[in-house]
Amino acid sequence: MKNTVKVERAKKNFTQQDLADRIKVSRQTINSIESGKYVPSTVLALKIASTFETTLEEVFQLEDNDWE
Amino acid sequence: MNDDSVLKVPMFSPKWKKLALSIFPLTVILGISLGILKDTFTPDHLGQLIYAGWALGFIILNLCKEPEEDEMIKSFRLQAFQTGFYWTIWGLMAIVIISFWQTGSLDSEWFSPYLVLFLLNVYIYAAFRYQLYLSRNN
Repeated sequence: MKNTVKVERAKKNFTQQDLADRIKVSRQTINSIESGKYVPSTVLALKIASTFETTLEEVFQLEDNDWE
Repeated sequence: MNDDSVLKVPMFSPKWKKLALSIFPLTVILGISLGILKDTFTPDHLGQLIYAGWALGFIILNLCKEPEEDEMIKSFRLQAFQTGFYWTIWGLMAIVIISFWQTGSLDSEWFSPYLVLFLLNVYIYAAFRYQLYLSRNN
C-alpha cells in the first residue's frame, strides 16, 4: 500500500514528531509508515487522515500487489 | 475482544530490563561458584543452570514494554512470537537430528525444558530486535 503521508505532512508543515504527538505514536512509526515499511491499522490510518483533514483514500492507496 | 481481561495481559515496565540484563552475568558467576564449591556440580549442571538463567532473562526482556509503546511495536511483538515459535521448532529438529546422528538415540542429555525455553525466547527476542533494526534503517 502506498501513501502520501509525507506530502500531506509537508502541506501542513508538520514534522514527523508533530504528527506522531498528535496521533500518539512514536516518530519511528511515522517514519516507517512514510517509507512503506509499516502498514498502519485502520484506526491509525483514519487518525492520520483526520489529522490532515482529508479522506483515507487521499492518503492511502492500494497497489496491485496488495491484491495478491 | 481487545479489552478481554483473560487475553489482555500486563507487561513489565522498561525498568525490569536492568534486572533481566543482570541475570545473564549473575547466572554465570553462580554457576562457576557452585562448580568450585560443590564437587557434585558437573558441566552438565552448569549448562542447565545457564540455560535456565538466560531463559529467565530473555523471558523478562520479551515481556518488557518498549519506552515508546505503540501499535507498530505491538505488531512487531506479535510477529516476533510467531517467528520465534517457528524457528524454535526448526532449531529443536536440528538438535534432534544432530543428537541422533551422534548418539544413535533420541534420548539425549541436551534436551531440557530450560533449553527449549532458552531457544524460544532467544529467537523471539532476536526477531523483535531485528524488526526494530529494519524499521530504523532505511
